[in-house]
Amino acid sequence: MNHSLNSVNRILVAFCAVALASAFFTPLWQILMWAPQYPEGLEMKIWINNLTGNVKIISALNHYIGMRTIEVSMFPEFKYMIYIVGVIISIGLITALINKRWTLLMFFISLGAAGLGALIDFYMWGYDYGHNLNPDAPIKVPGMTYQPPLIGTKQLLNFTAFSGPDIGGWIFIAVAWIIFFVFIAEQFFLKPK
Amino acid sequence: MTINRILSIGILLSSIAILFTGCKPKGPQSVTTSGAAEKVYVAPGQYDEFYNIVSGGFNGQMSIYGLPSGRLFRIIPVFSVFPENGYGFSEESKAMLNTSHGFVPWDDLHHIALSQTNGEHDGRWAFGNANNTPRVGRVDMKTFRTVEILELPNSAGNHSSPFITENSEYIIAGTRFSVPMGENRDVPISSYKKNFKGTLSFISVNPQSGKMNLSFQLVTPGVNFDLSRAGKGPSHGWFFFSCYNTEQAYTLLEVNASQRDKDFILAVNWKKAEEYLKQGKGKKVSNVKYAHNFIDEKTDVATSEMLNEVMQLDIAELKDIAYFIPCPKSPHGCDTDPSGEYIVASGKLAATIPVFSFAKIQKAITDKAYDGDFNGIPIIKYEAALHGEVQKPGLGPLHTEFDASGNAYTSFFVSSEIVKWDVKSLKVLDRVHTYYSIGHLCVPGGPTKKPHGKYVIAYNKITKDRYLPTGPELAQSAQLYSIDGDKMQLLLDFPTVGEPHYAEAIPASLIAPNSTKFYKIEDNKHPYAAKGEKQTKVERKGNQVHVYMTAIRSHLTPDNIEGIKLGDEVYFHVTNLEQDWDVPHGFAVKGAANAEILIMPGETQTLKWKPDDVGVFPFYCTDFCSALHQEMQGYIRVSGTGSNVPITFSTGKIEEEPKGK
Amino acid sequence: MKKIIFSIGIALLFYNCAPDKPKTKEEYPEFDESQTPAPAASQVDPTKGIGIIKEVTLNKPIEQDRVKRGVSIYEMKCSACHKLTDQRLVGPGWKDVTKRRRPEWIMNMVTNVEVMLDKDAEAQKLLELCLTRMPNQNVSIGDARDILEFMRQNDGEK
Repeated sequence: MNHSLNSVNRILVAFCAVALASAFFTPLWQILMWAPQYPEGLEMKIWINNLTGNVKIISALNHYIGMRTIEVSMFPEFKYMIYIVGVIISIGLITALINKRWTLLMFFISLGAAGLGALIDFYMWGYDYGHNLNPDAPIKVPGMTYQPPLIGTKQLLNFTAFSGPDIGGWIFIAVAWIIFFVFIAEQFFLKPK
Repeated sequence: MTINRILSIGILLSSIAILFTGCKPKGPQSVTTSGAAEKVYVAPGQYDEFYNIVSGGFNGQMSIYGLPSGRLFRIIPVFSVFPENGYGFSEESKAMLNTSHGFVPWDDLHHIALSQTNGEHDGRWAFGNANNTPRVGRVDMKTFRTVEILELPNSAGNHSSPFITENSEYIIAGTRFSVPMGENRDVPISSYKKNFKGTLSFISVNPQSGKMNLSFQLVTPGVNFDLSRAGKGPSHGWFFFSCYNTEQAYTLLEVNASQRDKDFILAVNWKKAEEYLKQGKGKKVSNVKYAHNFIDEKTDVATSEMLNEVMQLDIAELKDIAYFIPCPKSPHGCDTDPSGEYIVASGKLAATIPVFSFAKIQKAITDKAYDGDFNGIPIIKYEAALHGEVQKPGLGPLHTEFDASGNAYTSFFVSSEIVKWDVKSLKVLDRVHTYYSIGHLCVPGGPTKKPHGKYVIAYNKITKDRYLPTGPELAQSAQLYSIDGDKMQLLLDFPTVGEPHYAEAIPASLIAPNSTKFYKIEDNKHPYAAKGEKQTKVERKGNQVHVYMTAIRSHLTPDNIEGIKLGDEVYFHVTNLEQDWDVPHGFAVKGAANAEILIMPGETQTLKWKPDDVGVFPFYCTDFCSALHQEMQGYIRVSGTGSNVPITFSTGKIEEEPKGK
Repeated sequence: MKKIIFSIGIALLFYNCAPDKPKTKEEYPEFDESQTPAPAASQVDPTKGIGIIKEVTLNKPIEQDRVKRGVSIYEMKCSACHKLTDQRLVGPGWKDVTKRRRPEWIMNMVTNVEVMLDKDAEAQKLLELCLTRMPNQNVSIGDARDILEFMRQNDGEK
């Protein structure tokens, strides 16, 4: 565990840590919606600390079925996500700097944990948002809830909703895979000298 | 765990992730249907098969389209002024827009009812409602002109109107807003439950002349009436109304009127109401004021009379006129099928469509299968009246029409589709998308006993990207679907003017052969007609000057007029001497603050003009009538107030040039 | 099995390409065609013009009740374009028209003006002169006869 890294891998790790910084400048996740009346689609982009897209239109439509207005203040995550990503980037940079396999493992684990954590967090928000409906809503469809899909598409009344990674999210996933393969390579193929 | 296995799991996981994003759906593809062009193509010079008489919504007009081509033929002004032909501006038509509030130049026309005989279209009249200042208008289908408008007292928001009985006995007008009425009108809005009442006005239609008369009003508890249909066949003698806001909310109805799981359909036995009236149980109310305007058949000039009395019956006092039937959330459409046995109610916030049976309603009344009462009116048990529910039809059902083979076509606003289902078995048979968010729909003859079928037309509420963009304000979008086969097929998009709500379609053969081509000059009884140039003249009556003018290709007579003084009101009474189809003349004079007039062959129209300056003013024909149309012009001289220029007029008279000035 | 699927695919392809059923002739509303009487196939005498008036019997003395009706129709439907003198306004003046034209020609011109202007050589000459097509004023045969009688009186017949 205390071996140093192959030089190619070391560059890869450094590159990945830097690439993660893109999370501050690109949307991480997207929710897209289509309906017969909205062939051009409605979108909501989730950034590291913000929401953009047709958030107001989506909220206005959703209020008919009793869903809450979507606002930045709804997500306490926006307050600390930048720090989490910052810590992960630091671990990556440290790994490249001190060149130890155990920090590589830490980097990989922190990436995986952050990704998994984000998905779980997103699912829990979606569940609450889709189930916790205003009892005075004009339209109440018996037995119907409106939890958005975690990943992939789902039909919600007249809307087809899609949820999936955006540019920042893809970069994050790519980084996680590269680090995974770097770790595998270090552990199994590149025998310590 | 071997390395290979770890790697293959990794690759598998990555492919799954990619697969997920592959699920990202595309937007709706544009629907291409084979053979559609051929089905809607009406070759040059050929005629359409149907007239589509379409409400104009906020333009206050009716518009006439051909089907299947979707071509717009004509706009008929009903409740709104129309400078294009002088409706509401000409002296002849001004009185048509008179109301108890004075002259009202605009209204909101939502629904069309075509006259019926034995439950079938007879092609005589089209009726339309004025939503804002409650009125019903009648259009003569020979001339395509508005010939009568009747105002409705004790009404506010005439939305549940006009719907017609199977022999055009009555046109109905139900209030959207309940209001306080009678002596006690200045009351707090919060006293809705106590003081606010609804009315259902029964307007009788004279079977020969078509003349309307407010026969009687039923007074109801305060709710909102939305739409309605008359019974037919076995249910003839009944009317069915959809009601919402049975919460009796008077603020934020969006929330407060959507709370009950069930609102009501009101079933009204109007034959019984007629009996009670005969027995003298009606109450004559005289503290009302409403206008009745109609075109005098002889002179073709509109007159307006103010009426002050109406007969009323209270449905809560007379126990067996009206019954409520519970109906899921905020019903909109309330439509009787061609057999008259089934009543389809569309709760616009509901997830199912209940279909009621007239026979079961009758049995429930006999058995007194009631579930309490609402403000004194019995509520029939839902299950006792129900034929069945259409399960999972779509979202936001609004309105249903029928074909002749037992199928119903329901529009769905939220899911933006038309759903075809079987009235008896309640099975959903087919569904098609509309673009976008359909409101009403129309099957030719759909509300009659014998639907003509063939097409269903969607009147959509959202247009967006269907046509070339024209800034933020767009045409409305209508869509024509074939219903001949098992599958509905989108054939055509066509833009419409105003904002169409309900429309009816009728075979051209019922209307076209009777269409008036021109007015016979011999029959023109207009008091200011000049039937021939010999009768043209200019007459002064105090400060009013009447010009008896004729128009024929290609001159106006007289075309030189002098002797008008500042402060005069000049009335140009223009008679079109032509006696052939499609030779209208127009008339406009410089500085006229109203509009032009269009004069059809054989008729007389009058434009009032108040000159505001001295000088010589031009007038001319505005409708391109002949090769010498541009020569069809004249001058009128306006002199100062104290001038002593005598009245003179001429055509074709060339005088010596005056000496001196 | 694959073959079956393949042939079903082919069949579907063909089915989609199959032409629509021939369009049945749609019925269009019929209009009254009586307004424009068909021109007679073989007109014996071209000086009588084209139309359903073949023979007019003129009486002497002229019929005064016809003249009276003729005047009022003239004033209503004709006077805007035709003077009673020989002066041309929009159309030619009426003076001596009964001496220039056969009575049948006059009545055909009044009642069948579209066809006359398209086919009759004399009518076409007048159109070249006046440059305004005489409008169809929907004058009945009886009214045309009354107008003719008034023309005779205008031309000095007793």
